Amino acid sequence: MKLTLKLILRLLIFVVLPILMAVISMSTGRFEIPAGTVFEILFRAATGQSALVVKDLYTIVMEIRLPRTFLAMATGSALAVSGAAYQALFRNPLASPGILGVSSGAGFGAAISILLFGTLWTPVFAFVFGIVAVGASYLVGRVYKSSSTSTIMLVLGGTVISSIFSALLQLVKYVADPLNKLPAITFWLMGSLSAARSQDILMSSIPMGLGLVGLLLLSFRLNIISMGDREARSLGINVKVVKFFLIGFATLATAGAVSVSGVVGWIGLVIPHVGRMLVGNDNRKLIPASISLGASFMLLVDTLCRTLTGAEIPLGIVTALVGGPFFIYLLKRTKGENWA
Amino acid sequence: MTLLSIDNLNFSYGTEHTLRGISLKVAPGEIYCLLGPNGCGKTTLIDCVLGQHPLKSGDISLGSRSIHTLKPAEVASQIAFVPQLHAKTFPYSVFEIVLMGRTFATGTFSSPDRRDREIAREAIAMTGLEAISQKPYTQISGGELQLVMIARALAQKAKLIIMDEPTSHLDFKNENEILNLICALTRTEGLSFMLTTHDLNHPLYFENSGMPVRVGIMEQGQLIAQGKPSKVLTSDTIERLYHTRVVTHTGVMDGLPFSYIMAVPDKRRDAN
Repeated sequence: MKLTLKLILRLLIFVVLPILMAVISMSTGRFEIPAGTVFEILFRAATGQSALVVKDLYTIVMEIRLPRTFLAMATGSALAVSGAAYQALFRNPLASPGILGVSSGAGFGAAISILLFGTLWTPVFAFVFGIVAVGASYLVGRVYKSSSTSTIMLVLGGTVISSIFSALLQLVKYVADPLNKLPAITFWLMGSLSAARSQDILMSSIPMGLGLVGLLLLSFRLNIISMGDREARSLGINVKVVKFFLIGFATLATAGAVSVSGVVGWIGLVIPHVGRMLVGNDNRKLIPASISLGASFMLLVDTLCRTLTGAEIPLGIVTALVGGPFFIYLLKRTKGENWA
Repeated sequence: MTLLSIDNLNFSYGTEHTLRGISLKVAPGEIYCLLGPNGCGKTTLIDCVLGQHPLKSGDISLGSRSIHTLKPAEVASQIAFVPQLHAKTFPYSVFEIVLMGRTFATGTFSSPDRRDREIAREAIAMTGLEAISQKPYTQISGGELQLVMIARALAQKAKLIIMDEPTSHLDFKNENEILNLICALTRTEGLSFMLTTHDLNHPLYFENSGMPVRVGIMEQGQLIAQGKPSKVLTSDTIERLYHTRVVTHTGVMDGLPFSYIMAVPDKRRDAN
């Protein structure tokens, strides 16, 4: 009896909640569309009866809100899952997706693209520089001679590379035209889903999808890696190879997300902890839970961003305003125990 | 027949020789205790056997194969490891931790299956942890944690279990429980153990319990003596090794011989 209740609760949180949030997100906005109408439009579009729908409504739901809803869910999931993966990999509950410099790299990439080419190539630049930054951190982490990639050296590498890219970003901002380029860079850095075009969404969903699937498949290996290098090896895994793939998948997911959403903090840090409270620490449950919770949370945040005021509020502001107090609550609840 | 054999092993961190010319064998159903002062290279030797370090020269073989030709999963199917100090990070349940012992048997992209869970449950039963199997392993006592680590090693179904100072954080009762568990597993499951310890009485305890046991004494990266504890652990050897005056005592209890070693105040030094 207790088990079935738990199962129903989990079904509600992890399956019904994201669907509900998606419908709410598609029905709210400048132009309110009742949830029933949203369902009708989605159903008719799926069954090839789109001609029966009022054209304006069809355009709003299918061409404006649905892609954005999809993007919010994808980026939320990708960031949350990368966060959970890095927390296990670095054996540190305070690790976040940006720990190896992907955000700083992406920020610099986006800034330089805005400076040189306008916004056309921004997602591509952000993605590539995000990957470059993580690659550099990884190489720095391997400077220290060790039989496997040392965790502390990786974190150090990430810190160094992040600060280098932050400095370069400051340089780009310093030389950027303060009337049009600088605001564009600043807004990008605060994060938003509003600028994403449909081709960006499609392009970015490839790395995000790859990263999500990869981390789902490696979820049991994440448990083992969190035992530390020495024990992980004695349990029978090739630590170096597994770490490489974990970092690779997490980076693909994060770089894909930040390339279209801009730098969005907190989701990757906080959502895995909400998951831990609900399903425990076994990554075989935590990774799927983070996917679902990340999607729901990002939908909530993005819907708030679109609807709270006349102009869109940047994502980064709302995630931090919601995530910050929640994190303090979390610290208070756990009293900092086992937070190495 | 040997399970593990180390032949003329040399290893160094950088230029300084850490292990020199180590040769030893562990037979099936045998307990091998490594003794020696701090910094003599016991843990480094264990790390070499676990494949943590590339060797400078010499060889380590499992059965008939050199350990360097084996994948980590193949090594894990034959050697399990119980660390001295496990650094806990996330509050996994006891069962989840024990299940990790099945890693070597699961594919890279898959998870343990029904049979693996069954083996984990058996390991939990063998160590008497059923009552706490769903508890977060961050909330159990040091003695229980050591049992969890042993259960995880048992779940690997390896023939050899390597333990780094298995009783160093335990109270007197738990210490003896672990020693007795090692004896029981050797006797009933035919497992072999290779363990490091600082307590000279551990190998004697195994010998007193009638187990096939040998000690290897290490000093400055070399194995200076090997053999039966009662033969090797003489007062002369120990006094020379630790610069501490000891007495060894042999007696008979319940009709069986037993022996122990203890340090005694060095009156000769006071007299000077």
